[in-house]
Amino acid sequence: MALKIHGHANAPLVRLVAEVCREKEVPYELVNVEVYKGEHKTPAFKEFQPFGQVPYINDDGFILYESRAICRYIAKKYASQGTPDLVPREPKAEAIFEQAVSIETSNFYPFALGITAEKIIKKHRGLEPNEARLSDLVSNLKAKLDVYEVILGKQAYLAGDNITLADLFHLPYGTIVFEELGYDMLEDRPNVARWWKDITARPSWLAVKAKA
Amino acid sequence: MVLKLYGFATSTCTLRVAVVLKEKNVQFEFIPVDLTKGAHKAPEFTAYQPFGQVPYIDDNGLILYESRAICRYIAAKYASHGTPLLPTDPTAIALFEQAASTETSNYDPFVSGLAWELKFAMWFGGKTDEARAKSLQSQLSAKLDIYDLILGKQKYLAGNDITLADLFHLPYGAVLLDIGLDEFSSRPNVARWWKDISSRASWEAVKGGI
Repeated sequence: MALKIHGHANAPLVRLVAEVCREKEVPYELVNVEVYKGEHKTPAFKEFQPFGQVPYINDDGFILYESRAICRYIAKKYASQGTPDLVPREPKAEAIFEQAVSIETSNFYPFALGITAEKIIKKHRGLEPNEARLSDLVSNLKAKLDVYEVILGKQAYLAGDNITLADLFHLPYGTIVFEELGYDMLEDRPNVARWWKDITARPSWLAVKAKA
Repeated sequence: MVLKLYGFATSTCTLRVAVVLKEKNVQFEFIPVDLTKGAHKAPEFTAYQPFGQVPYIDDNGLILYESRAICRYIAAKYASHGTPLLPTDPTAIALFEQAASTETSNYDPFVSGLAWELKFAMWFGGKTDEARAKSLQSQLSAKLDIYDLILGKQKYLAGNDITLADLFHLPYGAVLLDIGLDEFSSRPNVARWWKDISSRASWEAVKGGI
């Protein structure tokens, strides 16, 4: 039975899971959740994902949520197919990978998500962005990307010379901030721009952007 | 050569690493970084930790930063020492990763935001953004309601055995309790779990500072 991803095709973290499934050549079925109608907050949904968030997967009866956990699960279960070493196994490479994954969750995601919340999510709810907070988030993200610029000047990807999940985790919200919202943070940062161009050109991501 | 931990004696992320070192009975040398003097922003520091944050470790020449990554590294390297903190079975690993991600998505942003607004902002000449603090507290409260459901079915966040995912909650949980913000006691399963993890000898040993 094909892996089922429960979520909405536009949801950034649903797209992340779909991308990693494609990288690992894992067929999947996207089971639509009507998030705009609040389906993810219903008791029937929360039975599977108690925080009322998308996505979750159903892999032949095994339920898992948290997109980054799902990606790790797919990368490990299908380690021998598709793009290799998305989660490295050699101990030192694994440690640097974990460092890179944590960089994304601590030093990128909170700011990218925050910007998305102010500019897009609030708009959906008929609220105005908090301009002071937005300005803080943008300047913090730029400062973090200055460090990415240093790191990516020494190596091709965040965890070393090969692509890993740590890079891919940046795709959904990076796309929102740099492409959909048009924040220009790459022009002055050539190493980041090089890395961003590389990861966004991956066929798996292009396929998901066309249709998750 | 003994593992070197560079950090600040009472910093949340430094303590996150320290509690795991203690759980795994790993000897370490603590090298204080004086945040009050901006030592973490000096070139000698950022050469090793480019984000200018504590902690980082030097394990016989392997430099590693990001506290949760350091904890995972220690738990894996010393798997057979002290308390097992990472599962080995694939299903248990997946559920561990779900729990670890839950901590970073559904706990850390709120507790660290509250710790900033209610305690740390003042250290840097700022003041509490009351509206933001109120919003964060109400979001944290809603998340802990879910924790209470999860912990009503199993002893720890990833199942019936303690893992790193539980320990990761300690430092900021303790900061909030210390300033009088208690979102744990009113939720019986969360209270039980918090009491369990916070009374471990490893946490008792470091909670007051390294």
